[in-house]
Parts: sequence; C-alpha cells; structure tokens
Amino acid sequence: MEEKVESYDFSFFKPTTRLAKFNRNITLSLVSVWAIGIFGFHILLKIVEKPTPEDSYIAYESVWNKISNGTASPADEKVFISSALSVLGKLSVNDNDKVALENVMSQFVIKLVPDSLKINFNEKINAFTAVKNDSLTRLSDKDYIDTKNSLADFASGFLGIKSYSVHAKLLPFILSNSSIRAFNEEDSSKVPAIMAKYLIHNQSFLTDFKLLGFPFHYFYTAVFLLILFVGLCWLYCYRTDKTLIKLNVTESI
Amino acid sequence: MKKIILTALLLAPVFAFAAGNVQLEGNFKVGPAIILICILVLFVMVGIVFRAKDTTDFYAAGRSISRVGSGMAIASNWMSAASFLGMAALMYGTGYHGLAYVIGWTGGYVLLLILMAGQIRKYGKYTAADFIGDRFYSQKLRVVGAIVAILISIAYCVGQFGGIGLMFKWILGIDYNLAVLIGGTVVLSYTLISGMLGVTKNMQIQYIIIIISFLIPLFILTYKFDYFWLLPQIGYGALVSDIVTGIPAPEIQNMVNSFGHDFALTASPEYAMPWDPASGQTFFQFMAIAFSLMIGTAGLPHVIQRFYVVPKSSDARWSVVWGLFFICILYWSAPVYSTFGAVLSSHYEVGKLAKDAIVVYTAQLGDVNPLIVGFLAAGGVSAAFSTVSGLLVAGASAFSHDIYVKVLRPESSPKQQLRMARYGTIFMAIIVAALALFNFALIAQLVAVAFSLAGCTIFPLFLLGIWWSGSNRSGAIAGLIAGGSVALISIAYFIAGYFNLTWPAHEFISYWLGAWYFAWFGAPLAIIVNIVVSKMTEPTPFEIKKFLVENVHS
Repeated sequence: MEEKVESYDFSFFKPTTRLAKFNRNITLSLVSVWAIGIFGFHILLKIVEKPTPEDSYIAYESVWNKISNGTASPADEKVFISSALSVLGKLSVNDNDKVALENVMSQFVIKLVPDSLKINFNEKINAFTAVKNDSLTRLSDKDYIDTKNSLADFASGFLGIKSYSVHAKLLPFILSNSSIRAFNEEDSSKVPAIMAKYLIHNQSFLTDFKLLGFPFHYFYTAVFLLILFVGLCWLYCYRTDKTLIKLNVTESI
Repeated sequence: MKKIILTALLLAPVFAFAAGNVQLEGNFKVGPAIILICILVLFVMVGIVFRAKDTTDFYAAGRSISRVGSGMAIASNWMSAASFLGMAALMYGTGYHGLAYVIGWTGGYVLLLILMAGQIRKYGKYTAADFIGDRFYSQKLRVVGAIVAILISIAYCVGQFGGIGLMFKWILGIDYNLAVLIGGTVVLSYTLISGMLGVTKNMQIQYIIIIISFLIPLFILTYKFDYFWLLPQIGYGALVSDIVTGIPAPEIQNMVNSFGHDFALTASPEYAMPWDPASGQTFFQFMAIAFSLMIGTAGLPHVIQRFYVVPKSSDARWSVVWGLFFICILYWSAPVYSTFGAVLSSHYEVGKLAKDAIVVYTAQLGDVNPLIVGFLAAGGVSAAFSTVSGLLVAGASAFSHDIYVKVLRPESSPKQQLRMARYGTIFMAIIVAALALFNFALIAQLVAVAFSLAGCTIFPLFLLGIWWSGSNRSGAIAGLIAGGSVALISIAYFIAGYFNLTWPAHEFISYWLGAWYFAWFGAPLAIIVNIVVSKMTEPTPFEIKKFLVENVHS
C-alpha cells in the first residue's frame, strides 16, 4: 500500500506516466519557443535600441540656444517654427504640451511678420477665431473656409512654407488657439523637454528594416506572433493525437 | 421558428433602407438602429429556439457542441468589446504599446491549451470553483473560488457594458448612462431566456456577424486609400511606414476623409516605435501587460468553462486551435482601424475623439457607406453581448452551482437550481450596470483588470492543481491569500486614484502594480507561496493523487 501511495505522487518535472512524460517534454519545448518568441524578442528590441532623433529635432537643437539667448536670426526662428509644427502636427500631443508649444511658436510667427502688416495679420487671426468659435455651423461654410485659407496663406508666406503642405494647414488653428502673449518664460522653459519627448524615438535595425511594408518589429508583433501562436497550438494538438495513438491511450472523455 | 429567424435575417437589409448622415456623434441614426434591432431580435429568437431545458443545458450546453462550433463559440465569447473596440482604441492612443494587448490576449491561449484545456475536460467538472473545491478538498475554497469567479466576471462585464453603452449612444443618439441601462436590460433578457445552450448557438451566429462586420470596412478603407486591399491585414503595413515618415499633402487633392481633409500627416514615428516617450508607456509596462494578460487568459472562469461543453478532451484541445484562429482573424485586423484612424483623424478640425469608438469613427471618417458603418457598430454590440452573456452564465453558475447547490442547499431540485442561476444573473447584471456608469477607464483597461485578477487567483490554483499533486489545501489557501492581497492593494489604489485620493507610496504602487498588470507580480507570488506552504503542511489525500494520475494524466 505504501509503494502504491508513493507511485501516485505526481509532478510536472517528475512525471510517473508515459503520457505525463510526453506532456512535460512537449510543454517545455513549446513554452520555450513561446517565451523566447515574445519576451526574448522584446528584450532584444530593448537591448539594441538607440534614442534616434527626427530631422526636426536636429534642426531644433541647432537653433534653440540662439533662440533662448535672444540672438536668433529670422532664419533660425523659421527653423524653430518648422520643428514646432512637426510636433504640433503629430497624432497625439498632450494638451499641456500643446498649449505651451503653440504659445511659444505663435510668438515667433508674429515676430516674423513685418510691422506694417502686423495689424492686418492680427485681424486675420481674430476673424478666423471669431468664425471658428462663434458662428461656425458646418465645416463647409464658405466664410469659415475663406478666413481659414486666407490666414494659412498669409502666415505660410512669411514662414517660407508651401501653402498646400500639412504644416501650412496647421497654422490657422495654432495661431487662433494660442494666447499670443508676450514672451512667456514658463512656456519657453518647457520647450526642450517637449521637443525631446516627441521627436526622439527608440529605434534600431529591427525597427528600420522593412518587411511587407511594415517596420520589421511591428510586423513581428502584430502579425507574425499571432501566426506563431496558432502554429504552436496546432502542433501541440497534432503531436498529442499522434502520441495518444502510439501509447494506445483512449480518452474516455 | 427557425424559418422566422431566417426570414428576419434576410429581411434585415431591406428594412435598413434609410442611412443616416455622416456625423461622428450626436443624432439618431436610422439605418444603423434598424440593423442593430434586427440583430438583437435575431439573438433573442435564437436564444428562445435553443433555450436551456435543464441544468445540464444551462451550465454546459449538454456537452454537444462540435470542435469548430466550440471554436467559434470560444472566439465569439472571447471577442468582446475590448477586442472589437478597445484594442484599436489603445493602439490609437499609445501606438505600439497597444500591441501588448494583442499578443497578451492571443499568446495566453498557448498556455491555456498546453497547460490546461485537455486536463480540465478530463477532470470533468462544470465550473472553475467546482474544480478548486474538489481538487483542494475544501468547501470553503469552493465558495471562495466561486466568489472570485463572480468578481472576475463582474470586472470583465463592466468594460463590456461600457462598450454597449458607447455603441447604443452612437446609434440611438442618447445619453451614455441611458444607453448602458437599455443595452444591459436587453443582454440580460436574452441571457435569462437562453442559458448556455442558446448562448452557444448564438455565439456561433455572433461570431459570423462580428467578423464580417469588422472586415468589410477594412477592404473598403484599404482600397479607397490605395493600399493593398486584397489582404488588409498585410496591406496596412505600408501605411504604418507612411505614418513613420509622414504623408505629404498633395498639390491636387485626391484622397480625403469625410470632412474633406487631405489624407496627410506629419511624420509620427511615435505611432510605431516601441515604448516611445510620447506614448507615456515604458518597456516594463509593455512586458508586464503582455505577461499578465497571458496568464489571465489561462485563468478566466468563463474561458475555462468553454472546455466543459465539448464531448471529449481531444475536442477541448482542438477547439482551442480553432478558437484561437478565429480570434486571430480579428486581432490581425484591429490595428488596421487604429492605423487608418490615426491618419484620418489627424486634422485639427476633427478634434478629440472618444478612443473607445475609434473603430466606428475611422469607418465614418473614411466615408464608408453609413449602412456598413451601422453594421460595424452592431457588430461591436454583438461582440459585447456574446461575451457578457457567457460571463453572466459563468457568474450565475458559480453562484447557483458552487454556492447554492454544493454548499447551501444540496437537496435542491433542478428547477430550484435553474431559478437560482437566473436570480444570480440578474443580481450580477445590476451590479455591473451600476459600475459601468462610473466610466472608470478605457474598455480594454477595465477588462485587463479582470485578467490580472484571474492571473493572481485562479491561474495558480489550476496550474499547480493539475500539474503537482503535492499542492494541498493549505497551500491553495495561502496562495490565494497572497495573490488576492496583491490584487486588492492594486485595485484599491486604482480606485483611490480615480477619486483623486493620494495614499502612501501611491506613485510607486500605481506604476509597479498597475491595475491592468499587477498579475506579473501577484501570480508568481501566489505560486511560490502555494508551493512553500504545501511543502510544510499535511500532504494531499491519496484519493486526489490517484485521481490525478489515473484520470487526468493517463
């Protein structure tokens, strides 16, 4: 009786039946592939990554010191504005970051407008802001579109931005959103962190290499891993069915 | 009755003649509303035709479902509002980080299959608590297991009710709270009428509706915006790369969204790059979420319960393969919505959108026919319904079978048992609806809480219960306390944060034991505690060991 009791002690790592041994072996194999496939790859992704700045960040870095010191030329200010637009046109920018950057950027846009045209420029901003906030019923309203395009064309002309570019289309909204105050130290001090946050990314050969149009790492995670999971499950069932026949095991339930 | 169902199905498109105007939110949308009503009527009628006649039917569908059928039911049961709406929402908001949910919710099936599916079927119990009570020879543990199963079901359902509310709000143009209450009432009614058998049949129909409604807009979007449309799940890869490099505005406008904005975007590598600073998410959070969701998958009572409804354990295994394949069809597709949504909604004029509805908004912004968008929204409701009904049955089973029958009233008749199951369902639905009104977080995040809870509590018990005969009652209790404590701390801190309360070490706990991923710590802790305490206490009874070896592993 004693021996019989001991023989029923069961553990994954010390299987007592042939089926259990098979289960242990296949489980260890498949779980290893599974774990390496998921976690191994992402650890590798983490190891090889390097903070990689966008071109806009490099351009911004080249002028920011001069802008902070107040020694920037109009060309430097245009470079900064272009970099700021690269951030503000992104998919998701935190509200606080957006407000600070819009304000700082707008100050430089205003600065670039010749004194003789400043009044006209402010009128265009005010007109668009009024239409947008007070009387807009449909985005296709002629008045709304005209004031928007007029402001975009006017501002992009001074900034050297093509009028049909994504950046040009952002300008009316940024200018009308911002409070356009005098130079604001608080907003300005936030700029370096904001630019670094949105313009530096974790990249490596795994993210730069393309496969079927995807960045490789994205394809690997969004497409390949799911194929791997289905494959592992199929393999397990197939091998289990074969082994049950080989071991002459009939599953009653 | 079957003819009536068929007729209703065929006539649905005829009635859905009036398409609403393209508006992202607000007004009552006639076409989508009619489609939704037709689908709901269809579900209820299927539920009536295949309604549960006794307790075996109610709990386990008479164990008469085929492998492919069970696979479809697994997929439908699984593909909730979190999958249908929530995943795209997360990827839309956090880019690559959202893929942690995609791999977490699929990779867990590998563990579930290899470690549990066949063995659970061989063990031959109806519910998770049934297994826990028998394996650890403890009525108290059975009750605790049942309570945990109910809590998991409630946590899971809250996100689903949120999804139902959002879609009802979008279609009917009503207030979110009212939408939650109406949607909750409908899903409750049909679960009560049908029970598990009707639910399982419904799930097969629901799967087909869900997957078709989800895929059709993808073909249209990829075709319309000139990507490889024959296989959108691959075709959108070029769009991901385009987002990274930026899409310039064309000099001559040709591709536009429904507002007339160019299909153009500033370079946005943060959408595709891993744990990008702009997403606010870290490498640790990515890994912790993926791991927690995986082990949570293998511990969810309503998923485990699916394996009781197949005739044999080999069917249980193959149904996982089929189920996972059916699930992956949707999971390969969800990122397509977030990727198109990112470009189509990038213009300032679109404004801030409710992330959880981005799937529907993307189709609208892509100027997809309003009836197809309505069908998509109805698919979202269907996804939430299929999961909620399965969860309510699992929760009701835990209440009536594991607490009422096994502990409180063992002599109760089958009729009384069925009545208690129905009372349990109503009670759960009321609690869930009340919690859903708080709108705590994104749908997928709310659902992830349920996964972490399952990963900390049920998963360690099943893993050790099946694979180590040395795991005994004392070990199980200790492990459950350890895992449960981690869950309690994390959830308590999350709720405190929601109500703007700051507790000691709040930032530390919120980061390392976040509500959506605390199982990365809680599950290993519960396993270790279970092993240590089991080693130190009285061994497992001989009968249990014998049963494990002879019935489960031989």
